[in-house]
Amino acid sequence: MNGPLAPLTTADRPLLDIADVSVTFGNTRVLKHVSFQIMPGEIVGIAGESGSGKSTICRAAMGLLPSTADVTGDVHFDGQGLLGLGEAEWTKLRGRHMAMIFQNPASHLDPLRKVGRQIAQPMIRHLALSRSEALGRAVKLLDDVGIRESAMRAKSYPHELSGGMKQRVMIAAAISCAPRLLIADEPTTALDVTVQAKILELLKELNRQRGLAIALISHDLGVLADVCSRIIVMRHGEIVEQGEAGQIIEAPRHPYTRLLVDSQPGKRQFKTGWKQVEDQTPLLQIEDLRVVFPAKRDLIDIVRNRKPAPFAALDGVSLAVATGETVGIVGESGSGKSTLARSIIRQNRPAAGTVKLDGRPIEQFAGGDLLAFRRRVQMVFQNPYDSLNPRMTALEAIAEPIWRHGIAGRREALRQASKLLDMVELPTALGERKPRQLSGGQCQRVGIARALALQPQVLIADEITSALDVTTQAQILELLARLRRERALTLVYISHDLSVVSSFCQRVYVFRSGRIVEQGGAADVLTNPQETYTRELVASLHRLPGQMVERESIEG
Amino acid sequence: MSMEASPASGATKQHAVTLPWSLLVAGSIVGIWIVLALFAPLVAPFDPTAVDIANALKGPSAAHWFGTDQVGRDVLSRVIHGARIDLLMCLAGVLPPLLIGTTVGLLSGYYGGTVDTLLMRLYDLTAAFPFFVLVLAIVGVLGPGLINFFIALAVVGWVTYARLVRAEVMAIRDSEYVQAAQCLGYSDRVVLLRHVLPNAFGPVVAYAVSDAVLVMLAGASFGFLGMGAQPPLAEWGVMISDGSRYIRQAWWICTFPGLAAISLGLGLAFLGDGLGQLRRGQVSA
Repeated sequence: MNGPLAPLTTADRPLLDIADVSVTFGNTRVLKHVSFQIMPGEIVGIAGESGSGKSTICRAAMGLLPSTADVTGDVHFDGQGLLGLGEAEWTKLRGRHMAMIFQNPASHLDPLRKVGRQIAQPMIRHLALSRSEALGRAVKLLDDVGIRESAMRAKSYPHELSGGMKQRVMIAAAISCAPRLLIADEPTTALDVTVQAKILELLKELNRQRGLAIALISHDLGVLADVCSRIIVMRHGEIVEQGEAGQIIEAPRHPYTRLLVDSQPGKRQFKTGWKQVEDQTPLLQIEDLRVVFPAKRDLIDIVRNRKPAPFAALDGVSLAVATGETVGIVGESGSGKSTLARSIIRQNRPAAGTVKLDGRPIEQFAGGDLLAFRRRVQMVFQNPYDSLNPRMTALEAIAEPIWRHGIAGRREALRQASKLLDMVELPTALGERKPRQLSGGQCQRVGIARALALQPQVLIADEITSALDVTTQAQILELLARLRRERALTLVYISHDLSVVSSFCQRVYVFRSGRIVEQGGAADVLTNPQETYTRELVASLHRLPGQMVERESIEG
Repeated sequence: MSMEASPASGATKQHAVTLPWSLLVAGSIVGIWIVLALFAPLVAPFDPTAVDIANALKGPSAAHWFGTDQVGRDVLSRVIHGARIDLLMCLAGVLPPLLIGTTVGLLSGYYGGTVDTLLMRLYDLTAAFPFFVLVLAIVGVLGPGLINFFIALAVVGWVTYARLVRAEVMAIRDSEYVQAAQCLGYSDRVVLLRHVLPNAFGPVVAYAVSDAVLVMLAGASFGFLGMGAQPPLAEWGVMISDGSRYIRQAWWICTFPGLAAISLGLGLAFLGDGLGQLRRGQVSA
């Protein structure tokens, strides 16, 4: 991948000049005196966690804030003042001179219209092209954004395209009128990592070839360091630091920026102190597991007496986890990793193969054996808000398994629960709160405490940090590393993020389309991937400069 | 740890949820009717069934604010006592279908399968007929009377509750907290009653209140048609039906019970609406 690009044209006048902008919703001030500039042909990254105001400032620049927002300060685009423009003037500007792409392409494309038409629309409107002319250009644009068989694809509806292709279509529509500024709000967050890399490559190329200035908003410093020439770091509605990308990453001045850099996945190595014990029956053994989901049989299928082929979410998967080991499962969405987790906790019935705990097939457990199994194997779920019953307080949720399993009475269970709360580093006062009054990271800590309430031996963590901000993510991982040490947990860590998995686990299995494509020691897989797919995964990691060296010095 | 921005203000904000105005107004209307019904013998100036032929068909006056009917009974006292019957009717008409429907919906939504499919076809079958026509047909077969009217309501009404609860349960069934509860080894009974039902019940309450309007209007209509409450019971529908023969000489006999039915109906309707709003507000908060 190429390094950050120098601006194509070095004009004196900034293309976008944001001076002292504050935004207030009612009594809440979401932006405080934000000032920055984007020069023509420059790629500027805006970093920050959710709620830092990074999307708000860009929406303010596009005039997309709701009318309840009170905006003060000055926004100039190419010398023209933007604040206080009427809707008619905005529509002339938006889509023509400045364009925006969003995080979730699916919700910004009209599901009822062919994508070619949707790309042609702004050209008909702004450039007064005829319909056929615009459609012709739309096909060319699809070519430009790297969609193969563009003429055929132009006639597709959005649901016929993959997530990455939809984002490409969004980009094609955004650049159709040759705008000078493109605001990209987390354009790759919803995409799988390998697709993410390709979209970023496309943005860089558009910048190089067309001199398109890009404001790239992302929570991922690694992405920004790879693509941008300058980075602006925001927090709580303020800019805490801005500067050259290299300086921000290598010599951050503000403590928050330093924290953000240190929290990047894979930045930290977690010491494990685990040794492979030879000739041991694995604690958890999965043999030839096959899980299928029946395809839905509709009326026509029944009438014609045909059975649609079932979908195999897992197809002949075998793996083993030894006592005290941490095993990582990596793969993109749809690779079957969550299905594996659900199979281990008996949430779905395998079509073939077995899951064995201590050599005993888990599907044979019933009654008391099953309860004992539940106590030994627990799981932490992906979505922190969805994994807690909204009607129970944190303390109740943690205490419930203790008294329901008859380990202690209800009062004693609550006492133990507050100890667990302490163990996951949550203040006791938060125990009285319901999930909606807690932050995502706090909910996830409650989820971990609940899973540990029964003192399990095996803990399955299914994408437990993917819904969290990077700094919170790093804290949760640290907590998990501590608990693993203190409680001698055997951990199955599932994630789409190879860098997290390789820094946290001893062994890694790489999943693709329900099969294991590669397995081995975490360091080996990351530094010396054998399969094409793994290589692609590794290549798509956005590592901060210098990180690789650090890793090698630790492991070498 | 400090980075985990805790929504500390969240705890206090929760209490400051502004009640929709409709909820306040509706709550007071329904509240007044409930108080009137509870203390009817104390509030009502006369015995609702005391006949006084000498004072028959007298217009509103200082002694009889709402006038008297064809046999000299005080209309105001009858309207107040009628509230007892009509409110009880709401309760008796709503609770059985609610209980049956919630149970069925809970089980069929959670377990799915063939039973679920069959129950939903039964729903389609019931929903294919207009509500009143079906209730009327069943009462027609069973014979007039309040008890039969309630039976008919239960037979027709439970399906809506079942459908409502089933849809909620199907969404909640796949949520991670239910998976977590299953993974923690809780019995099905615990998962259903403690984790699924409380989270599925919100829309049921909101619907039950608006269902009460339907039941009340149906009760009054059936009373009017002579298929529900039977005279001389002071029920608003029966009163309107009785008074309709005298509407030219004595408009007050049917007007006041009519107004009473409208006010309670509107009150309940707004209450259901407000509860729904409150629930949506809480979800988005």
